[in-house]
Amino acid sequence: MRKRDLPSLFLYTFGFFLLWEWLRPIEQLTETDNIEMFIFFLLLSFAISFFHMKWPWQLIIKLVFILYSVNRLYYQEGFFQFRWLKAFITDGADNIVLLAGRHWNDLSNEFRTLLFFILLWLMVYLIHYWLLNRQRIFIFFLMTLIYISVLDTFTPYSAKAAIVRTIIAGFAVMGMLTFYRMTRKEKVNCDSSFLRRWMVPLAGMIVFSVLVGIAAPKAAPIWPDPVPFFTANNNKEGAEGNKAGPHKIGYGTDDTALGGPFIGDDSPVFAYEANGKNYWKMETKDTYTGKGWLASGSTLISYREEEFVPVTSYPETVETIKESARVIVHGKYKYNYIMYPAGIKMISAMEPSDPDGNRFVVDANNERISFFNNDQNPVVPRAFTAVYEIPKYKAADLKQTASFDSEKSVKDHFFYMQYTQLPDQLPDRVKVLAEEITAGKTSWFEKAKAVEGYFGKSDYTYDQKNVAVPDTNDDYVDQFLFETKHGYCDNFSSSMVVMLRSLGIPTRWVKGFTGGDFQEYSQDDTSKRYYQVTNNNAHSWVEVYFPNQGWVPFEPTKGFTNGAIINYQTDAVPASTNPQSTPPPVKKPQHVEKDVLKTPEDAKKSFDVKNILNKAKLTLKNNWKLIFLVLVLLTGITATLYRIRGKWVPYCVLLLYRFKKKDENIGAAYLILLNQFERYGINRKENQTLRNYARYIDTFYSTRDMTRLTAYYEQYMYHQSLPKGTWKESRELWENLIKKTIT
Amino acid sequence: MSREQMNPTIEKILVNIEKVMIGKRDVAELSLVALLAGGHVLLEDVPGVGKTMMVRALAKSVNANFRRIQFTPDLLPSDVTGISIYNPKEMEFQFRPGPLMGNIILADEINRTSPKTQSALLEGMEEASVTIDGVTHKLNKPFFVMATQNPIEYEGTYPLPEAQIDRFLLKMKMGYPDLNEEIEVLNRAQRVPPIEDLNPVIDLEGLLSLQNEIKEVYVDATIKRYIVDIVNRTRGHGSVYLGASPRGSISLMKAAQAYAYMYGRDYVLPDDIQYLAPFVLSHRIILKSEAKFEGISAEEVVNRVVTRVPVPVQRLVK
Repeated sequence: MRKRDLPSLFLYTFGFFLLWEWLRPIEQLTETDNIEMFIFFLLLSFAISFFHMKWPWQLIIKLVFILYSVNRLYYQEGFFQFRWLKAFITDGADNIVLLAGRHWNDLSNEFRTLLFFILLWLMVYLIHYWLLNRQRIFIFFLMTLIYISVLDTFTPYSAKAAIVRTIIAGFAVMGMLTFYRMTRKEKVNCDSSFLRRWMVPLAGMIVFSVLVGIAAPKAAPIWPDPVPFFTANNNKEGAEGNKAGPHKIGYGTDDTALGGPFIGDDSPVFAYEANGKNYWKMETKDTYTGKGWLASGSTLISYREEEFVPVTSYPETVETIKESARVIVHGKYKYNYIMYPAGIKMISAMEPSDPDGNRFVVDANNERISFFNNDQNPVVPRAFTAVYEIPKYKAADLKQTASFDSEKSVKDHFFYMQYTQLPDQLPDRVKVLAEEITAGKTSWFEKAKAVEGYFGKSDYTYDQKNVAVPDTNDDYVDQFLFETKHGYCDNFSSSMVVMLRSLGIPTRWVKGFTGGDFQEYSQDDTSKRYYQVTNNNAHSWVEVYFPNQGWVPFEPTKGFTNGAIINYQTDAVPASTNPQSTPPPVKKPQHVEKDVLKTPEDAKKSFDVKNILNKAKLTLKNNWKLIFLVLVLLTGITATLYRIRGKWVPYCVLLLYRFKKKDENIGAAYLILLNQFERYGINRKENQTLRNYARYIDTFYSTRDMTRLTAYYEQYMYHQSLPKGTWKESRELWENLIKKTIT
Repeated sequence: MSREQMNPTIEKILVNIEKVMIGKRDVAELSLVALLAGGHVLLEDVPGVGKTMMVRALAKSVNANFRRIQFTPDLLPSDVTGISIYNPKEMEFQFRPGPLMGNIILADEINRTSPKTQSALLEGMEEASVTIDGVTHKLNKPFFVMATQNPIEYEGTYPLPEAQIDRFLLKMKMGYPDLNEEIEVLNRAQRVPPIEDLNPVIDLEGLLSLQNEIKEVYVDATIKRYIVDIVNRTRGHGSVYLGASPRGSISLMKAAQAYAYMYGRDYVLPDDIQYLAPFVLSHRIILKSEAKFEGISAEEVVNRVVTRVPVPVQRLVK
């Protein structure tokens, strides 16, 4: 099979894909860059191999490519100024000495690259050998699978697509190789129709098995994902490590370098009992650095337990609903700050408690609340009751503000500067975009709503995995808004803050938790519900300052809803007294699709393929148990029917052929009869002629029917013609025989 | 094989032969197949089992000119083909036809003569003509050679080269008659040899038209594929040094046509192929020496090959 035909091209292509899978994770998991050089080298080597070039040419082309790559990657000089070559050779010689001394870590990058190229060269040769000479690739395929799954399990590399690609390429290669191995062994002449009869079912089976593999529900892992454990060990504690890169989700205090993928973590943080869900604040931040957030300073205010919390986020004129919640903090919580809902009035019944020494310290600058016993150091809270008031804004009031006179007082000036701060290197296009979005809007409220709504546009995607880390020259917000468009709450909220600030609207960035998951109704008071908040609920959002209304929360993150209660009617309608309806329910990020579907913009394009796909996905997700059950049931029925097919298939075919008239029907009918005998257990050996077999059948049943029927079939089959009107007789013979197989 | 309704003419010929030959119907049938297919037969057997008798009976039945050549080491090609002799009266060379100018020829112990003489015979078999002193003489039609070869004597023999043994359509063994048959042979031997009393069934014209009809016997594409599959497999078999040639495929098809015709069919069945394959193919393959030492015979190899090729039972999907 040393031909340059299409099948070998396919073999080489799939071989290339398999080897490529080995290279893909390298860029993500190691410090190797410019991986495309290596991939191109693979392509080149496979192409050379495919065209059966003479080995001196192979050697020259590959060597030149390797040298050229090394030159491009490591040397400033042009390829044809051969001075660099001298340096490279000297370097190689030095490295060989290092190799001999087993100083692996001291090897130079040039030399490593060279070694890696040689390794790839060897691999390409091996694959070529496996494909064409041995015609076996199973071991390599298995190794690839193991490699990918190990990486997927123990590193942040996600092999979701890789496993599918590998399966497709691997199955295809193995299927084709089996075919060629068999034809070679059996000396069968394979013409194109023969080839097609193998390849088409092969392709069909691959597609089918891949689709089933993708669609089938997958069992949850039997052990917890070890990646967060590893990364947590490496990064100390998840998000607190300030290295951008994969984090474990959760609350952290260091936000100086945002970005990078998140890995879910459903370990509980706290639980609370309240009338409804609401967001829980931890702190706010005011200074945007271009990469993340800082708190500009701190103003500590101390107060005692029975006093009101000296934090006000809205003036007294705003209508409110009184609420209270009992919070129980999980044992693993280790921060010294208290989580609280916006509009907090009082924190009481603290645990651990020290009646004499209980006191709180609020940092007025970032609104962190810490709790102290009789000690100098803050105490981690374990349980407390929060009394708070949920503000009910009126849109009319909010719309009043269109500007802010920061020159009224020094305090105002500083306040305004603090919350409209932006880094100097912020690209101008952020502001341009903000102005575009808010064109035609005058009031701050309308502008904020416009920016908040802007993220609902479908080209922004909520994503925890494919989230970029800004490079040294990139701005975190700018990168998200214009380049990546994939991100989670930090991206959305930071972007909104920065855009509003660019318009001169004082805004701050708020961190905390969403309302968590409903667990059960409270046992003491059935009107109250019990919610659990986990690390997955860690969140960030936006508060905009309105001089007459205070800090009003906004929720730009796609798929989340919080927002303040805002009454859009112009007349002041008495507040609804139903406490249940107060805080709008907070959705989990998992239901992103549902929320996306509800936005009016998408509703217009409801015939969008994407929507239909999403709907299908959603139905699948919601009803998968039912679907699975039905599938199992169907499979069971099919299997049973198949097992007892010998009992019912004959009746079907008898009925089917009773009304046929043509003599040629014997062709199909006879084959059915052969199948039926086979099911019955008296099958024909492959090398047995029909005549011989017919005699055997006739001896078995003590008839002569089969011989007579076979005589007709022989004429049909080997003479391609039949005497007219034979079907009547052959049908009778055939029916007799079929009936014999039933009894 | 089930005893089908045979072609009546052929049935008569076989009955005629059976009058003088006891048992050996299969050999008679196969010889007739070769004759009808326009091929030749190589009989490999010891002397005295009735080879001559059978050929003579066959020749008599079709009213053919029977000649016999006893091959000896000193036989010259001209002894086979004929020779031009100077006639002083007419003042010119006159051609005296040799025994090859008959219709049915028994070439006895063909491996005893020199290769030169062998090739004279074999050339005649292949070309249906001989060239003597630059003049081409057409051989008679039909022309049928039944050559015999003694398998037990190797001393002073010239085994036929592989390229020439290929020219025989069928190779078979006669074998000894069984006990009862041999007693019957003795009974008949007491009387006058009955061969003289045989009446021809058809004449040569009739035989030629039979041969033409046989060419019309239908061979389905599946059957052709089956033939080629079998022949192909002999080429890759582990014990085979050299497999059968495409001439083998052609021979198998022609023999099968004749055989099908003999059984009154105008189409070929896989059964025909299976039955004939060992006779047609076994002398066309060369076994490896290892296989020979292990005592594997060419017939066994062909039979094994046949059992490995699936019989076509479905029409080709177009």
